[in-house]
Amino acid sequence: MKHTLTISALALMAAGAAQAQELRFMCYQDGVECEAWADAFATFEAENDGITVIVDEVPYAAIIESLPVQLEVGEGPDLARVTDYGGLARFLLDVRPHVSDAASIDARYGQSLAWSRVGDNAADGIYHIVDQLTATGGFANATLFEQAGVDMPGPGATWDEWAEASRAVRDATGVDFAMAIDRTGHRFAAPAISYGAALFDDDGHALVIDDGFRAFSEQFVGWHADETMARDVWAGAGGGTYQDAAGEFINANLVMYYSGSWQIGRFDRDIGDAFDWVATGGICGPAACTGMPGGAGIVGFNHTQHPEAVAKVMEFIARDDVQAQVLARTRNLPANANLQAEGIAYEGVSDDVAAALTAFASSVPGFSDTAFALQGYQFNRAVYTTIPARITQAIVGELSLDEALERLEQDVADAIAAAQ
Amino acid sequence: MIGAVRLIYEGAFNLFEGPMRWLQRSLGTQRMVWVFLLPNLLIFGLFTYLPILLNAWYAGTSGDRILLGDRPWVGAANFATLLDCESYLNPNSCRRDLFWRAVHNTGWFVVLQVGFMVLLSLIAALILNRNIPLKGFFRAVFFYPVLLSPVVVALIWKWILQRNGVLNAGLDWAGMGTVNWLLDPNWAFFWIVFVSIWANMGFYVLILLAGLQAIPSDVYEAAEMDGTPAWRRLFRITLPLLTPTLLVVMVLSLIRAVQAFDEIYVLTGGGPGSATLLLIQYIYDVGFATRPRQFGLAAAASLMMAGVLMVLTLAQLAATRKRGEDG
Amino acid sequence: MARVELRGIVKDYGAVRAIHGIDLEIEDGAFCVFVGPSGCGKSTLLRMIAGLEEISGGDLMIGGERVNDLRAAERGLAMVFQTYALYPHMSVRQNLAFGLENMRMPKDQVAARVAEAARMLKLEPYLDRRPRALSGGQRQRVAIGRAVVREPRVFLFDEPLSNLDAELRVAMRAEIAGLHRRIGNTMIYVTHDQVEAMTMADQIVVLRDGRIEQVGAPIALYNRPANTFVAGFIGSPRMNFLTCTVTARDAEGVTLADVHGRVLRAMVDARTLAEGDTVELGVRPEHLHPDPDGYPVEIENVEQLGGESYLYGRTPDGTALTAHLSGQTGLRRGARAHLAIRPDLAHVFRADGSALPRLRLGELEAAGPGGPVAG
Repeated sequence: MKHTLTISALALMAAGAAQAQELRFMCYQDGVECEAWADAFATFEAENDGITVIVDEVPYAAIIESLPVQLEVGEGPDLARVTDYGGLARFLLDVRPHVSDAASIDARYGQSLAWSRVGDNAADGIYHIVDQLTATGGFANATLFEQAGVDMPGPGATWDEWAEASRAVRDATGVDFAMAIDRTGHRFAAPAISYGAALFDDDGHALVIDDGFRAFSEQFVGWHADETMARDVWAGAGGGTYQDAAGEFINANLVMYYSGSWQIGRFDRDIGDAFDWVATGGICGPAACTGMPGGAGIVGFNHTQHPEAVAKVMEFIARDDVQAQVLARTRNLPANANLQAEGIAYEGVSDDVAAALTAFASSVPGFSDTAFALQGYQFNRAVYTTIPARITQAIVGELSLDEALERLEQDVADAIAAAQ
Repeated sequence: MIGAVRLIYEGAFNLFEGPMRWLQRSLGTQRMVWVFLLPNLLIFGLFTYLPILLNAWYAGTSGDRILLGDRPWVGAANFATLLDCESYLNPNSCRRDLFWRAVHNTGWFVVLQVGFMVLLSLIAALILNRNIPLKGFFRAVFFYPVLLSPVVVALIWKWILQRNGVLNAGLDWAGMGTVNWLLDPNWAFFWIVFVSIWANMGFYVLILLAGLQAIPSDVYEAAEMDGTPAWRRLFRITLPLLTPTLLVVMVLSLIRAVQAFDEIYVLTGGGPGSATLLLIQYIYDVGFATRPRQFGLAAAASLMMAGVLMVLTLAQLAATRKRGEDG
Repeated sequence: MARVELRGIVKDYGAVRAIHGIDLEIEDGAFCVFVGPSGCGKSTLLRMIAGLEEISGGDLMIGGERVNDLRAAERGLAMVFQTYALYPHMSVRQNLAFGLENMRMPKDQVAARVAEAARMLKLEPYLDRRPRALSGGQRQRVAIGRAVVREPRVFLFDEPLSNLDAELRVAMRAEIAGLHRRIGNTMIYVTHDQVEAMTMADQIVVLRDGRIEQVGAPIALYNRPANTFVAGFIGSPRMNFLTCTVTARDAEGVTLADVHGRVLRAMVDARTLAEGDTVELGVRPEHLHPDPDGYPVEIENVEQLGGESYLYGRTPDGTALTAHLSGQTGLRRGARAHLAIRPDLAHVFRADGSALPRLRLGELEAAGPGGPVAG
């Protein structure tokens, strides 16, 4: 009797495993991303009998802090929505062997796919599908420009021109700040590349302090000395602490703010009709007009019991129609080349937002390869946190710029060495 | 309601009494001690001693992996890189310059914060120990900040000190120039000392008040009959009799100053630059805030700090023991 | 050396009056003891003289000078505290010298005074010790020494012996009395112990509830207590009281009847009494003696000390009666004794507690059963 029960239980489990494949998807959202995907998966489940995807929504902190620990000890979900591809690279599942049309995915998501092809990962692997491309870029308070009677620099304008115009507006209107850049190396890298920084050496190792990097660093420190830049943002904190200036921009206390496309939703909500604002698009330096790409994407993990099912989900996520439908709801920029070309019919957005989304979307194709390379660099977090720590020391005068840059190079090298 | 609670309470005792008596009979009074110590030992072992050992182990490894098995053993390399300096007096000459900046900052912070804290707490306690009007109110005023979370303390002061903060608004209104308090390295350092004194002083005032009140009033009456001038009463009677308490306050505040972190981290984030970067924040930055996480380096730095704290704690124990003998 | 005079001294704590207008003169060089039960205000009064408590009303004169508004030290007084109040962190030498250093006295002079006080109080071996290394008696001597070195006009003692054991108390009593004889300063001494008061004082001030009940020399208070309170307080064990009715009075005294109609005589000036008045007859335990015709008493307890005996009993109407007999007694618990009261040793108090003047003091004569009654 006992025997029979055991056998039938085992048989049941085996049958269940064969038929119903349950995938767990750990998701965080800035807006409605998880809801949009959960709805989209209804279509997926209808098309793929026997596979269910369960969306567990968690805070972003859980993705950053507890997911890596879970993975390290061999636990965790089958899929997740993440941003740190380099840090998680060794846990990611290459779905290329399991998808029906890998070439098509390559063609449409090519640039962003490289972000997780780091370390020991395959150079042609498909590890993630970006569902929220972000781009760094500027926002300008159009109303202040109007009040000051200063012409706003147009597309293709340089950092110098923006600095000069912003100072003029600040002085004319009496607001506190002309320009501000978020306190992170991710933001800093975009103008640095535009000033000609190569960042990587010939072997693909960061961080190289070359003339381009030095030129922008000097410019940036100088802009703090002459108060073009809001001192509070970078000098107001220490170490690698992130600090933004969105509050100052929303309060119309800042003329030009260099941040990124993820601020659009917040500005739409918090600024409302208080003043007109525009996205600047790419801002140019002597070498380029690049911003930094970035973004969240969906990954599968190599400890999953059901790699084929995960691959099916990834291929579904990558589909043009699915992306178009989800992104229209989430109001995110597409990483999908087809959709970048076609544009997305965002649902119910204001003209300001639509214009900004378009401006950011159209700036992405102009981004430099170095920018994409940095975003895909396994140790980019070391670069992102070390730049503010060291550059701030130069800003407040603790170190000379030369000393700061020397330390910066050394710190990144140490961090990378320590991680290997 | 209270009756029910009492019943449960008594019931719980009765429930344990039988087994405990049986245990004591079978183990004997001597070994019974361990039965009561065991739960505590387990908890301490698991959550205090084991982590200390793990920390020591981590200090000898490198890499950004969490599992010890994945971490390469590097011996004393983490300590060596921390101690790699041409001159310990010049952080710029050190390989880990930020560590030494943090050491220097922490040193100055400890000296200034403890010095002024003890002095101000003493003055406050001496005043509050007198029969002044609204004594209870003022005692509460000094003590309430202690009840606040350090984060709340920092946010309150940030609100006061920021560019458009209360202090600048006041200065502006008074026609004096405004200062961007937290963006100037010297001012920022002044304010972290000030705020941490403000936040912690009440605790020490309380201890000193207790110490003052433990001085028998008849000694003061005898001094009064002896015609003791006020300054001589302070220096020859009050301070000598308060010395053991002062010593405890000093060592306690010293240890806490070395460990200062939360309110400062929230107030200045260690900035501007590294002007207010203290040791704990350095450890946190290296181990957790920056990627890749350098657990080994952080563990080595925290072990070195633990050594300093150990010395301070031993000093405190010696001080309290001395006090016990005096009392 | 000074005369201390209190004129209408009052102490109020908020709305509560603790000291109700004390008038008192203490002669220069007198040893004056304030005595009374706890809470009577004796310590408060002393602390007001010392300057540790503010004086709410009246004048405090020391050496003819009004000192109400002078600080404690400026009044030229020194005080010995019940708890000694030594400076715990200073050596005996420093304790003695501290007050002198406060006055900026030259160092050699300080040393000389400290040496003199140490010699007088036999403290020389302990000069470098801290108070906690001294015995109770030694600490007390340091406390006294600290007062002595300042050479005050008046010494104040606040129950200085109450923390000592019985034996030391007797020794220190003698020492303080000896000190007074040697240096002859005015001393004001507070105690709740009437034995200390009786043995040391030139002048006893009996206080109750912030008022003076009686002032006088010890024996005068013993022989002629002004009222039942003083009568009960001075003398140990306390005086026995029997409620009686006046049945007759004459030039020799008064005839009384107790509740059972037993007849008692007392030699007091009874002119202010009328027949039928209710009075209290007071007799000290040591003035009761066994007599077959005496008062019947049921013995409840006997204390035999060898050289003397105490009987604790009750009269038939339940009044407690204590007798102090010299020598030993064969009486046991439960026995019935007959105790007689000599008329020349009896006190009579009016219903309001005040005493009638005694016509004869039997205490001055050889006491004994049926002894002569002298005028």
